[in-house]
This record gives sequence, structure tokens and C-alpha cells, in this order.
Amino acid sequence: MSLSRLQNFRLLLAFTATLMLYGCSSEESTSTADTGFAGLGQEADGFQYAKPNQLLTFPTDHAAHPDYRIEWWYLTANLEDASGEPLGLQWTLFRQALMPPSERPAPTPWAADQLWMAHMAISQGEQHEVAERFGRSHSQADLSVHQDSQAGIISSPFHAWLDDWQLKASGEAGSDAFSPLTLTAYSGEDESRFGYSLTLTAQGPLVLHGQQGFSQKAANGQGSMYYSQPFWQIDGNVTLNGETKAVNGRGWLDREWSSQLLDARQSGWDWLSLHFNDGHKLMAFQLRGGGDNTDQEQGADYRSGTWITPQGEPTPLANTDFIMTPLATSAVAGRDIPTRWRLEVPSASVDINVEAPYANRWMTTSVPYWEGEVEISDRASGEPLGEGYLEMTGY
Amino acid sequence: MIKALPTVLATLLAHYRRHPGQLAMLLLGLWVASALWSGIQAINATARDSYARADAMFDTQLDQLERRDGAPLTRADYHALRQAGLPVSPMLEGEVVTQDGTRLTLIGIDPLTLANNNPLAQADSSGSLTDFMTAPWQTRAAPDALTATTTLANGKALPPLVLAPAIPPDTLIMDIAAAARLLQSGEEITRLVAAPGALAEAPAGFTLTRATRIATPGQLTESFHLNLTALGLLAWVVGLFIVQAALGLALEQRLGMLRTLRVLGVSGRSLVLALSVELLLLGLIGAAAGIASGVWLARLLLPDVAATLGSLYGAGVGRELNLPWHYWVGGLAVSLGGLLLAGGGVLWRAARLNTLELGQMQAWRSGYRRQLMLMSIGGAFVAGVALALYGWLRFQPPGDGLVAGFALVAALLLASALWLPPLLALVLKVLTHLARRRPLVHWALADMQLQLPKISLAMMALLIALATNLGVGSMVGGFRLTFLEWLDQRLVAPLYLNAPAEQYTDIDAWLADHPDVSERLLTRRSEAILESIITPKGSRALGTPIELYGITPGESLTPHWPLLATQQDRDTAWADFSHGAAFVNEQLATAENLSPGDQLNLRAPGVSETLTIAATYPDYGNPSGQVLMASPQLAARFNAPPSSMGVVLHLNADVDALREALTERFGLGSDALSDQREIKRIATEIFERTFTITRALNVLTLAVAALALLASLLAQARSRRQQLAPLWALGVPRAQLAQLSLVQLGGAALVTGLLALPLGIAITWSLVAIINVAAFGWRLPLHLFPWEMAVTLATAVAVALLSAALPALRFWRASPRTLLAEEANQ
Amino acid sequence: MLELQQVHKTYTTPQGPLKVLDDVSLRLAPGQSLALMGESGSGKSTLLHLAAGLDLPDQGSITLAGQNVSTLAESDRAKLRREKLGLVFQQFHLVPSLTVIDNLRLQARLANRDDTDWTAYLIARLGLEGLEKRYPEQLSGGQQQRLAIGRALAPRPPLLLADEPTGNLDETTAGEVLELLLSLVRETQCALLVVTHSPQVAAPLDRCLRLRHGQLINTEL
Repeated sequence: MSLSRLQNFRLLLAFTATLMLYGCSSEESTSTADTGFAGLGQEADGFQYAKPNQLLTFPTDHAAHPDYRIEWWYLTANLEDASGEPLGLQWTLFRQALMPPSERPAPTPWAADQLWMAHMAISQGEQHEVAERFGRSHSQADLSVHQDSQAGIISSPFHAWLDDWQLKASGEAGSDAFSPLTLTAYSGEDESRFGYSLTLTAQGPLVLHGQQGFSQKAANGQGSMYYSQPFWQIDGNVTLNGETKAVNGRGWLDREWSSQLLDARQSGWDWLSLHFNDGHKLMAFQLRGGGDNTDQEQGADYRSGTWITPQGEPTPLANTDFIMTPLATSAVAGRDIPTRWRLEVPSASVDINVEAPYANRWMTTSVPYWEGEVEISDRASGEPLGEGYLEMTGY
Repeated sequence: MIKALPTVLATLLAHYRRHPGQLAMLLLGLWVASALWSGIQAINATARDSYARADAMFDTQLDQLERRDGAPLTRADYHALRQAGLPVSPMLEGEVVTQDGTRLTLIGIDPLTLANNNPLAQADSSGSLTDFMTAPWQTRAAPDALTATTTLANGKALPPLVLAPAIPPDTLIMDIAAAARLLQSGEEITRLVAAPGALAEAPAGFTLTRATRIATPGQLTESFHLNLTALGLLAWVVGLFIVQAALGLALEQRLGMLRTLRVLGVSGRSLVLALSVELLLLGLIGAAAGIASGVWLARLLLPDVAATLGSLYGAGVGRELNLPWHYWVGGLAVSLGGLLLAGGGVLWRAARLNTLELGQMQAWRSGYRRQLMLMSIGGAFVAGVALALYGWLRFQPPGDGLVAGFALVAALLLASALWLPPLLALVLKVLTHLARRRPLVHWALADMQLQLPKISLAMMALLIALATNLGVGSMVGGFRLTFLEWLDQRLVAPLYLNAPAEQYTDIDAWLADHPDVSERLLTRRSEAILESIITPKGSRALGTPIELYGITPGESLTPHWPLLATQQDRDTAWADFSHGAAFVNEQLATAENLSPGDQLNLRAPGVSETLTIAATYPDYGNPSGQVLMASPQLAARFNAPPSSMGVVLHLNADVDALREALTERFGLGSDALSDQREIKRIATEIFERTFTITRALNVLTLAVAALALLASLLAQARSRRQQLAPLWALGVPRAQLAQLSLVQLGGAALVTGLLALPLGIAITWSLVAIINVAAFGWRLPLHLFPWEMAVTLATAVAVALLSAALPALRFWRASPRTLLAEEANQ
Repeated sequence: MLELQQVHKTYTTPQGPLKVLDDVSLRLAPGQSLALMGESGSGKSTLLHLAAGLDLPDQGSITLAGQNVSTLAESDRAKLRREKLGLVFQQFHLVPSLTVIDNLRLQARLANRDDTDWTAYLIARLGLEGLEKRYPEQLSGGQQQRLAIGRALAPRPPLLLADEPTGNLDETTAGEVLELLLSLVRETQCALLVVTHSPQVAAPLDRCLRLRHGQLINTEL
């Protein structure tokens, strides 16, 4: 998930560059050879850096880390409605620091050092609805009066919001618990209204990726702080085409922050979060390029992942621990997007097909990318094994 | 034959070497015609560009929210609305003054929440969102708003400038954080906006104004520009009169040459071709000069125009010309088109030239009689058109027919102009007959008949200029009288108070106890949608936005407040008014064809009311429709916030003392209190400015007509002297002959001036009764000013005498030898 | 009637001073007729203009009807021309804006000596009956010059000055016009000075003088 978030961050950065630079297509701004996707590979002096052996503390780390350049709260969910029709949804809140901590402006009215972007999507069948919001805040704003800030995160009781899009703890006030949470986000009017009002209940523990939450993103050692809650049981209502229906299913929340995520040579990524029917979870991504320490222009791909038992025990997967192979592509938004993959994790005896039942999951946000539900099946027998989400950027 | 063209052309042009005066006159005409026209078009084009930029920006493309209680909007309001899911965006607006004294509108925006297809996003040039949103921020401005200094009068510095041509004139755009610092606005914001239609309805506690309801400056100022265009067209026509006169003269004098050329074997087509090339050549020179001076003229007038539009309509117009490419092409096309129009007759005559026919006075004399006949018939036809237009307008609802109104004025002018030469000829004929016993007078009159063809075009131009001058002058004069009287009637309190809405209750209570205060005239303001109207003929659905204005109908106001029409009488109207009936302003009554007794269905958020119209009232200078109610009624029924308060004092009360006491007691700003004199002064100033341009253009047109006359006279000065010389030889002293020349022309001008009087009155009438009603929505009483008329006559004669003075002086000062030589050379 | 004594006239031209009349003296008694002949540029037109008071001599005196023209103010000279002089030009110089009859009566009216009977008689004598309402340009050349003669004689001036009166006419017409001129002059007992280069014109007159390079070369006969 994190890489796809990265891509979204690039979206954000590209948005930064393109909002006011009309006539400059997003393709141009995303195809950067030496600063990585949307500038995410830039050096980021003045910011704090993600390093191994930084211990995560909760609930504090649920909140924002404004000294880091980028951060997100990223939820995907595989649900079904009362009639058993599958339905996917996404809700993401991105944060970007506009400047290093040392250059922050005084907190006068409207002055901002944090830029926020939120994406929501609902997918069912051929339908795929997308909405996007932006906001600003100052990291020194008093969040206890949350009308003082358009967007913000409070760690306890947990509350993340941008306007009326909100993810917040629904337990008793003062509780440190990260569960249960309620998520509300709506967009559009009347017939075109869509959105959701959901309750998220954790069925397992938080999972730290990489080395105790430090997730390396390139061979040169750079990376991010990365943990997930992959065990959400979700119930609630989804509104689509102005009609509301009850839904339930599984969700996966990613939390990641960093100041420099990509090697300058990396051009995009493919990222997977999978729920196996037997209770296992799998997170796997590959960054295309930057997979070695050579000075080659492109470099090899860099792969990383986590195999999670039904009890939440993580096993980090290194570059050589799994193979992702694209099997078939679909034409989406004028590009060829791999919508069928083969994923092999020999150590976990996994050899599966990962396939998107619907190819049109293109996110028509300020910087576009592909994000949608996938189904997994045993490669040998074809037996359905579960479901999940796939994100692909840089195509 | 084409090979011969240069030779033919050179031969034709040689004429101008011998008669540089004719060339000068021709170019003068072209120059003047295209200068005034292109000057006005330059102003219009610049204004249109400004409107387009303003339209494309915020006001007219975004719905707006205001607080129902009139209190300023705050950041908390914004966040609360966002957290309620409403897609609103904050804006800060204020004025900053740079060190060099330039006043600029500063707009602070939040690019993140502003509807993202808003042109602001495109109004940009370079730089990233981060640069826009973070220190040192950016100032975006169009090139015409860029000032030399980025330091403000208060010592603060603007963020670095970034060029963004699409931003309206005199406007700076920056991030709301930077704007808040410069404007020291704290938690307050000026407005909340949303993409059109994004809000289904106004949230509780707010009023919502739809983008489509906000009239664009382009619409409001349309009539103003039509006015300017009409004046430009007038100047163009007057200029073409000169061109036509010069071309006619040049052709007449070259008839012999043309015949010789034909005899020498130049084909008629080549001749016409050569003449066309000559016309084109002259046209290009004249048009180029004209457009250049037009741009200069526009640059000169633009600040006044901009000030007028700003004060009349609140429309911002750049003070720097901004001319699109089609302006230049259009200017050239109009100039050349005019030349073709004026020169078409010449070409036609040249094409039909009879090789054998000799240039005979006789043919010419009968030709002129035929021309007079044609003019009379043409004049009658155009007068018929005018009559038809008038008839048609009578059956139109008032307020319609702006273009028809202008067409009526044009037809009147044209008909009168066409009739002028036949009229002058007739007058001369009658007078000649009467003056048989006075040989010199007789001669002078007869001679005038002979001169008539040469000066009639100039006289026509003079007539048009005079009549327009009188018409516009009377309209402006009448407007001034009416407007000043109306101001007096409306401004009954010596002191007016403009305080924050929440303070009025306290101030009102305090004033109520003040011994010097006799009455408090609280006004309230709000807006509503006029859903439908119910008249005796049935009801009509409308959906027009209107202003609601509340006044206090007390004893100081009601006796003076002007009313135009009431259902029964004034007293009843005011009694009904106090009990909830409404008055509507003339603009609204005209636009929607309302009269007292009709009913209005008004809707405001959460309110739906039906009001009966008790009266209509004049509301000069207001571009929108207004419904007037008693303040308490407006407060009770529409929840309208207070907007100002007139304070009426007892006789001999100390205004200044009260003023000071109020300021001190309530901590009011320096501009919260204004006295009546001040308001009147400002209003009068705006009024004067409104007509500065009109008057300037009028004077210019008159000057052009005078030039036309002078040019015609100069062009025939030589042949005039040749005609006068034998008379002198017969024993008429030179001085007497010179005087006679003056009297001749003065007399013709006097007749022209006399004709201009009724014509001018007709134009005044058209302006006040048709054009103003259609353009502004109010009708002025028709005022006639004998003094203006006397001035018109005097102007006519003065213009003629001035024009005739130079040739007459030259004749009078000519040595006998010169006269003799001319006489002998003949 | 007309007396020139030692008249000198020099014009300033771009080529330098040009002596036009050099010590010219002549006399013309009432009722007498005199032809003044000479080549083009001999100064004969200038002499005529000086005689008419249209221009002033540099030296010498000109006496017209008992008044010294050189000492008169311009307005008095104009008055003198109105009342004492008839002028006939080679180019007719009719007033194009006036009808035949108004042209004929113009000078008489100016001189305040309009006489309807005399005018009617003149019209008849000039052969212009039926043409009174026409305009000059509607007449033939001969008719125009006859009209010009009529205009000059209408106020019954004591002196008629004619400058090449037949110069613009064909031979036959010229003869007729000359004959008419002389007979009318005789009838009115008007003195006549004709400037011409045509011997045919000069022949019937009482006297003839010749001018060459500004000097009279044969003195009074």
C-alpha cells in the first residue's frame, strides 16, 4: 500500500506543480528521470529522516509527524452488499509538509506549513466513483478546537479529518484505542451522490513492516516508517448513485511517513495488500528501478513485503523472497496497465494469480493512478483464495 | 494598360502637388474620422477586456454566501461550513495603497478549496502551489496592475510579483495567508464563495447569492458603451463629410485632366483603378494617422472613463490600453470602409465620365438642382423611417428599444442633414427674391446659392454636431437639475452613520435619549428573489434578484421623498407603506412593467412574502431593481440587517459635537459618520464625472464640424477670390466684400443653428424618454434650456465666422495687385 | 475726363523690378474715344487698371472725372468706379450667381442709378430680350460680352474702360460686339478707352496710341 500512497504523494507534488501550470500535462510532470516520480526522490534537507531502530509508540504515532515531509492514512476495503455483490472502496488522507520545520511561518491566520489531500473511491462492477479534496493547516494550530483547522489528526481519541471527511474513534472519549473507528466521507449531490458511513473494528493487532516499522525502499537504504492494521472488520452503509445500501467486509489501513521515499532512479511501483481466506495477509510491493547500488540509469527493481499470519505475526520478505510477474495488461485511460499478475512467495508456498476483475479503476485525481480490487486464486488449481487491493503507479 | 497605371497615378497625384490644401483636407477628414472612432473603440476594447477578466474571475462565476445577521464572516464560519460538508472557499478582499499612491484591490484566495476549474488556477503564469502558499508568497497581477514599487504606503512589502495577464486590472491576487497579513484582517474574511450550483441552498444563518444573479459589469455597462459607440459613429460620419467634400472637389477640379487622359487613350477601367489605388493610398495614410491619434486620445480619456465606470457600476477598467489584434484590423477596416463610402460616388462619376462633355456650369447647375431634389426625397424617406421607429417604440413597453432609440436619433439626424441643403437653398431663393432692391445683399444671397453645393456637406456636419451638442447638453443639464433636487429630497438628515451592524441597537438607544436628536432614520438592506408579480392582467413568474431597502417613514422623510406614481395619493401611499406595503424604484417598475396596485411575491431564504406596490419612486444612478419597505417591516419580515442611519437634529443643534460624542462613545472609525454636504459633494462629483466623456466627445465633434467648414472654405478660397475680384473692380470696397463673406456664412450657419434647435430638442427627448429609460431604467423630465439654445445658435454663428474669418481676412488683406493678377489670369 | 501725367509703375517680380509704365502721359476728353495698342506685356492692361483706380501709380498723377485718383482712399476710389466708370473685360466677368437681368442692373444698382426704362432699352439694344432670366453660363460668348457691356453702361458712366473686349470672341461676333459698343458709347456720350492689340478694334476710334515697353511711342495725334 505504501508505495501506492507514495504515488499519490507524487500526485500531490505534481498537483503542486501543475495546478497553476496549465498546459503542462501530468505525464510530463510525472516522468522525471533523475528525481524519481513527482520529485519524491529529491533530497529533503531539513526534514527528519526515517531510520531503522526508531521505536514506534502508540497512540502518539497515529497522529501526524509534521517534521517528516510526507505521511498518509490509507484505507482500502473489500466489501459486499446485502445481495452479495462485491464492492471496493478507498479512503486516503495525505499530508505533506510545505517546508522543513526550521522554516515554518508564524501561525498567523491562514498561514500553513501543512498541505492535505484526501482521495475517496467506491467501486462496484463497472462503476468507479472518485473524489478528491485539499486543505491546509498549521502544525501549531490548536487541534482541541478542531474548527480552528481545516484538516488535522488527533491521536487520542483518534480523529483524522479534512473538512467533513472524517475517520475517528467511536469508543468512549479519552480512550487510546485505535478501534473501533468510524469513517464518513461523501461527495456529489442528489443522484450523483456517493460516499460511505462505516464502522471499522480491528480483529487483530497492528503490524509493523520491515525492521520494527522501518521499511526500506531502495538498495541505498532510504525508506519510511510503515505499519498497518490489516484486520479490519467493516460494517456500515455505502451510498452510490444516490442510493444507500448496507455493506460489510474486510479492510486494510496503512500508516506511513517519510522524508525521502524513492531512489532517484525509481519510476513507479506495483503494490499489493491481500486477504487470504485462511486468515493470512500479504503485503508486497516492487519499485521499478533502484533495486541495486549500481550507477545504472534504471537499476533493477526493488521488492519488499510482509507475510502476516492470522494472529498478526509478520515475516518480512526481502528482494529475493518473492517474484511478481505481469501476465496480462488492459488498456486503461490510454495506457497498458498489468491487471493480471503471478505472485510467487516460495517460503510461504504461495504461487497465485492476482487478477483485477474490472480494469477501469483509474483514479482521475489531480495526478492519476490505478487502484482497485483484486481476486486471488491458486495458480495450479484455480481455486479462489481470497481478495485484496492492487495499486500501480508510473504507467 | 496596367503598365500605364503608374503614369496615370502619378498624373492624378500631381494635382495634389498643386493643391496641397485639398490633400490636407482629405487626410484631415480621414484622420479625424478614424481618430475619434478608433479612440472610442480602443476605450471600449480595453473596457471589454477588463470586464472579461473580471467576469472570468470571482464575482460572476461563483455563488456567494453572507451572514444573515450582517456580521463579518470569520475563519470559524468557514471551517464550520467545510466540516458540514459544504464546498465553500474563503476570500479576503481589501484595498492597498502603494508608495506611489496607486490604489489596488487585493484579493486573498485559498487555491486549495477554490473551485478548481476557476480561471484563477489558469490566471497563473509560473511557479508552483508551494511558492504561492508559502513565504515569501507571491503577488499575481496583470501587467497593467504592476507598479514600480512593491512597497505599500504603510511600509509593508508586497510579496514578489508574478505576471498573470488574465487577472483583472488593478487587482492583486495572493494566498489568503499573505493577504491576511497585509490587510491585518485577523480572523475575518470578506466572503465565502462556492462553485455555481455547488450549494443546493443557503445554510442556516447565511444568505446565498447565485453567480447567475450577479449582473456582470459587461451587462451593466453595455448601454454606456453603446453611448460611446454612437458618439464615435457620429464623429466618424462627420469626418466622412469632410472626406466626401475633399474628394468631390478634387474630382471636380480634375475632370479636365481625366477627360484628357481618356482622350489620350487611358481606358475608363484603368482610370477607375488608378483612382481606387489613390483612394487606398490616401486611406492607408489617413487611417494609420487616425488610429495612432485614436490610441493617443483613448489613453487621454481612459482614466476618466475608468473612473466613471468605477463610480457608476463598480466596474473595474484598466487605465492602460489593452488592445487585441482585431482592434487594429477593425480600425483600419472602418477607416477604409468609410473612405470607400465617401469615395464611391467619385469613382462612379469617374467611371461614367463622358469624354466629349465639357465641364459646363450649366450641367453642374441642373445637376445640383437634381441633387437637392434627391436630398429632399432621401430626407423625407429617412424622416419616414424615424416616424416609423417612433410609432413602433410607442407600442413597446418602456425600457425596451435601446437600439431602436439610437436608430431613431440617427434617422432624425440624417433626415435633418439631408433636408438642410434644400432648406438653405429655399431660404436663399426667397430672400434673394425679397432683396431685389438691395444690390449687394441681392448679390450676396445669389452668390450664396452658388456656394451652397460646396459648403452644404460641411453645414450638414455642423448641423449634426450642433444638434447632438444641444441634445446631449440639455439631457445632462436636465439630469443635473433632477438629480440635485432628488439628492436634496432623499438626504434629509444632516448626519449619516455607517456602523457595524451589531452596534445599531446600542447607538439607536443612545440617540433616542439624546436631547439634540429629533429623529433616527434607520435603513436596512437585504436581498430577495422576485419570484412573481400579480397584476390585474394576471400573474407572471420572474425569478429576478432585487435589492430590499428599508427606510424610516417619519415626518422628516415622507414629505420630501420623491414619488413618481401612487395608487391614490401621497398620504395614502405613505400610510400603506408604514403598514407593510412596498414602493418599487423606477428601474424595477420599468423593467418589469409594474405599477402601483400590483403585487410582488418575494422569496429570501426561509422567507416568502407578498407585498402590494403602493408607489414608484425615482432612484437615479442605481443599476439594479429595488423594493423599498419601512425599516421595521423589512426587519420583521425579511430579517434584514441595519445598513445605515440618518440622524435628524433639532434646529440649532451642534452637529459636530454630536459627531464627536458618537465617535467617542461607540469607538467608531473615522469614516463611520458622514455629513450631508459630504455625501452630496461625492454624489455630485460622480455625476460630473459621468458626463465628462460625453461632453468631451461632443466638443470634439463640434470641433470636427468646424474643421470641415473651414476646410471647405479654404478649398474654395481661390475661386471665391476670383469671383469677388470683378465685383471689387466694379467698385465694391474690399472691406465690404470681406464683411459680406462673413455675413453670408454667418447667415447660413444661423439657419443651420435654427434648424438644430428643434432637432436638438428632439434628440434630448429621445435621450430622456427612450434611450435613458432603456439604458438606465429611469426617465427624466424633459428640461429645455433657452440659454443652451442661445449658446447653440451663437456656437453655430461663431463656428461659421471663425471658419470664414481666415479666407475673409486673406481677401481683405490681399493687395490689389494679387486680386488683379487673379482677375487677369482668369 | 481722364488725364495721366508722367505716370510710372514698376512691379516687383521674382526676377527683379519690372518697369511696366515709364513716364506715360495722356488725356481723354469727355465723349472722346481712344484706342491703346501694344504687344502682350507692353503695359497696356496696367495702364487701364491704373486708370480705373484698381491700382496706384508709383509716380505721376491720374485724374478721373476731375478727381486725383492717386490721393483718394480706397473706398473713395471704389465709389468713383461705381459711379463714374464702366468696365468691360476680355473674360466678361459676369457674376455667375445672378441672372442676365440682375447682372445687367448690378452696377447701376450699386451706383444707385437703376433706371428701368434704360435697362429695358439696353436689353433690347443688346439683343438679350427673352434671356433675362437665364444665367450667364447659359449664354453664348457674344451674348455674354454684350451683357458685360450693358452692365458697364447701365449706370450711364461718363467713362467706359474696355480691356480687349473682343479678345475672346470669333471674328464675326467681335465685329458685331464692337459695333454695338461704339454705337452705345456714342448714344450715351460716354468717353471710351479701349485696350487692344487688334487694329480692327482701334480703327473706328477717335484716336489711337501705341505702347511699347511701358512708353507711349507716338504721342497725341
